[in-house]
Amino acid sequence: MSIVEALQRLQDLPFPTEIRESAWLFPTIETVHVLALVLVVGSIAFLDLRLLGWTSRPRRITDLIAETLPWTWSAFAVAATSGALMFSSKAVTYYSNIPFRLKMLCLMLAGFNMIWFHHVSLRRVGGWDHGAPPASARIAGGLSMLLWITIVGAGRWIGFTT
Amino acid sequence: MIAAFCDWLAATPVSQTFQDWAWFVPLVQTVHILSVAVVATPVAMLAFRLLGLTRLGLTLAVMVSQFMPWIWSALAVLLVSGMLLTVTEPARELLNFAFRAKMILVVVLAVILTILQSRLRRDPDYWTRPARRGAARSIGVASLLVEILIVTAGRWIAYV
Repeated sequence: MSIVEALQRLQDLPFPTEIRESAWLFPTIETVHVLALVLVVGSIAFLDLRLLGWTSRPRRITDLIAETLPWTWSAFAVAATSGALMFSSKAVTYYSNIPFRLKMLCLMLAGFNMIWFHHVSLRRVGGWDHGAPPASARIAGGLSMLLWITIVGAGRWIGFTT
Repeated sequence: MIAAFCDWLAATPVSQTFQDWAWFVPLVQTVHILSVAVVATPVAMLAFRLLGLTRLGLTLAVMVSQFMPWIWSALAVLLVSGMLLTVTEPARELLNFAFRAKMILVVVLAVILTILQSRLRRDPDYWTRPARRGAARSIGVASLLVEILIVTAGRWIAYV
């Protein structure tokens, strides 16, 4: 079975079909997606701005992470679930959509960037928890900001191309 | 009368120019959503704090003083980007029920935030005094509810 055939089967399932055919289901799921994604982007920006050294300078980076990460992950869970539901309603169309692919690529890159930051920069955080972040942390923060701006832009662009 | 105004606005050279740029609306909407994030996240964090759901390392007064410049600046960007979108597609916004509801709710949110901020200016412990626990919770619930309704109304402009 090819990917397109699998996606066709996915969107033929009862709930994806209902989302596609209902007048209110898609906009409602999309509203939940927007509410969640603004919290994902907002809470990540908190940390990115601190990593860039632009805000929250007097605050320990580890405190800031402990406070913002629960927001990021709970909102991300909601955004990913609502996103998956929207995807399932028109899986074949989204799969071949360029902005959709760009968004998924940037999401993956943002994930790698986060893992790299946690395992490389954050491991030696003892030396800079209270002060100016090192270049590796600043690069991670800047990359994260750029990627998330692109993710939001590509996400909005999907709506104009499908 | 509003419909006539929309027709006039849509026919102006500025509106025509924006309409001709296919990338203009998606780009301005992206700026708009990013600015929503800069408002919605700190407002939600303040609301949770007022409701006593989170115990952050900062006092409420410090949080408000740090967040408010970001919130007000982002609201200014939202106003400008929202006006650009309205100039480009006047009938889509001005004749739309969801748009009108959203505008009223934005004013309500601005009033709530002003009350929250102004009380703290005279007394940093204003909202944390035990006697005002109820008021603090009301402000928290109201700001969270209004924020959710604003985003909902905003998204439904495209559908109603």
